[in-house]
Amino acid sequence: MHSRCAALLFGLLAVSARADVVVGSKVFTESVVLGELATQLLQHEGIPATHQRELGGTTILWSGMLRGDIQCYPEYTGTLRAEIFAKQSLDSDEALRQAVKRSHVWASPALGFNNTYVLGMRKDVAQRLSVTRMSDLAAQPQLRLAFSNEFLERADGWPGVRAAYALPQEGVRGMAHDLAYRALASNSIDITDLYSTDAEIAYYDLLALEDDRRFFPEYAALFVCRDDVGEDVRQALSKLAGRIDAETMARMNARAKLEREPEAQVAGEFARDRLGIRLQSHRDDRAVRIGRRTLEHLAMVGLSLGAAVILALPLGVLAYRAPRFGRIAFVVADVLQTVPALALLVFLIPWLGIGYAPAIVALFLYSLLPILRNTHAGLADIPRDLRESAEALGLSAFARLRFVELPLAARSILAGIKTAAVINVGTATLGALIGAGGYGQPILTGIRLDDLGLILEGAIPAALLALIAQAFFGALERRWVRAK
Amino acid sequence: MIWFESVTHEYAHAVAVRDVTLHVGGGATTALIGPSGCGKSTLLKLIVGLAWPQRGRVIVRDEPVSPDNIARIRHRTGYVIQSGGLFPHLTTRDNVTLAARHLKRDEDWIDRRVNELIELVQLPTEVLGRFPGDLSGGQRQRVSLMRALMLDPDLLLLDEPLGALDPMVRHELQDELRSLFARLQKSVLLVTHDLAEAAFFAETIVLMREGRIVQQGSYRDLVDAPADDFVRAFLQAQRAHAVPAAHA
Repeated sequence: MHSRCAALLFGLLAVSARADVVVGSKVFTESVVLGELATQLLQHEGIPATHQRELGGTTILWSGMLRGDIQCYPEYTGTLRAEIFAKQSLDSDEALRQAVKRSHVWASPALGFNNTYVLGMRKDVAQRLSVTRMSDLAAQPQLRLAFSNEFLERADGWPGVRAAYALPQEGVRGMAHDLAYRALASNSIDITDLYSTDAEIAYYDLLALEDDRRFFPEYAALFVCRDDVGEDVRQALSKLAGRIDAETMARMNARAKLEREPEAQVAGEFARDRLGIRLQSHRDDRAVRIGRRTLEHLAMVGLSLGAAVILALPLGVLAYRAPRFGRIAFVVADVLQTVPALALLVFLIPWLGIGYAPAIVALFLYSLLPILRNTHAGLADIPRDLRESAEALGLSAFARLRFVELPLAARSILAGIKTAAVINVGTATLGALIGAGGYGQPILTGIRLDDLGLILEGAIPAALLALIAQAFFGALERRWVRAK
Repeated sequence: MIWFESVTHEYAHAVAVRDVTLHVGGGATTALIGPSGCGKSTLLKLIVGLAWPQRGRVIVRDEPVSPDNIARIRHRTGYVIQSGGLFPHLTTRDNVTLAARHLKRDEDWIDRRVNELIELVQLPTEVLGRFPGDLSGGQRQRVSLMRALMLDPDLLLLDEPLGALDPMVRHELQDELRSLFARLQKSVLLVTHDLAEAAFFAETIVLMREGRIVQQGSYRDLVDAPADDFVRAFLQAQRAHAVPAAHA
């Protein structure tokens, strides 16, 4: 709801939230392809639908769906079982269906492939050590393990694997899934978690170790939707039942990821060849994309910065006039500043959902400290004789503030706002992780696809925007603040 | 005009004014003199509420100074400090008229008053549009005096107003100020550490040391009947300064 209101505020930017059905996807290629496929299928059935791609991990998607920020997203039975309903032991498929239903979620029929976790290593290394099965790893304590962060924490991930196979390896690191392939290829690590339909397994000539103790559950792909979506949505998505086998999915992943075909095109061709339906898939050209992201980015930075000025400036004045309050305000702002940006974003999701609202609130909180601190410092640095001269003139406290103290502190206050703006431009790239778009979107996709061009498509405008913000406040300073 | 009744004011780490009782008459110029840190500037600050007595009270125009009447007292008192205290972000005109505009005085009245004052302190009118950073030291002190006189106060407090000026400018301004005070008929309380300047301006000189008044009287009184060895030493030091012994 909040993200809806926020999105409406931006008019132009409200691309996604206005549509009736919002399909989300996780931040890996297969999820994006499936999200794109579902979106096109719905559109083909005449249901207005948009795709909010690369929203983040399971927690963000699931809670975003329950809140209504998105309606549907692709999921896997194993993830539902081990991650979302981890506290209940849902052994049978029927028990799982019931649990999903109780959460007011509808689950589509399985799509036809099982994308289970596997542990992978380079074939040459595996051969040298004579490792073919996961149980062989117990005798190789020297192997360097690195897993995706989600796998590292999940019950059906590393903790469970380690217990089931009594593995001795220490110093296990967490890293992004897409980067782990490159780390394997460059011999920086020996083993990582893979998805069995990943295109890279063949590409990098990796060996998927046999799960000889049958530890990993089945990860049958399906769509989950809020149960208030219409019958037409359910019917449309049910058309995919059993239509995608593991080989097909792996090939689509390879095309999207290794051959750099847009996910929309990959999904479109699948629909044409396998379902016999022709979907329109269009792709904005680069200028339009950058323009849209610039607006998204500016909206995030502008709104958060504006709100921060409105709150932090009076607080800075108050902190200067009432030092005891000032000390408390500084402690609070300092603590806020130390919360990692990603943690803060995820922390805000239960209240604000996904999209603009949590991104703006997080950026707002980060902007408070520099403005508060510089307002206070600017006022405290006013020479005593000037403060006393203003008092001796018989000006009221408000008039002293308005005509003497704030103008004298203006240089410092503007510097604080400038600092906050520049930090904000950088931090706002993380907004893409929770569906707020902006320059972070191509960076995220670029990291996923190992595409430097895409990364630069986000990074260069972000750097430029930071420079422009700096120049803008510099000009403001020269115009408003007279040098002594 | 002003009564200090057993006033004590202590700063966090030092006593600035100790049990001072002093009467300053109206319409005359009184000089407060003494070594640095003797409490003379603090006496001025006690009058305009930049410092408040911890013991005793300060009475200005028959009213004890209090937070309730301090705004009125400030509007009727001009205050000039050594650095001028001009606001660097405001032009001369805005500095001078700030308080009058705050009190919503009539625009015509303000313009007339500015014209009178700029003539009085003998500054060219183009100075009105300049910022303090573009003025000479002497010009700044003239502007500061204009600002202090803007609301036509009957009391002027001057804290080393000429202390930061070079000797030539200082000498010239001393002459001007004395004739100005004579013309304006205001009560003036002048803080200085220069005995010659005190004698030049003031009928009454108040000599202070470590927060207390040591002697009060005319320059002649101090020279003819110094109250103690400190007064004698102070006079001696000032004279030695005027005519260095090595050249005598």
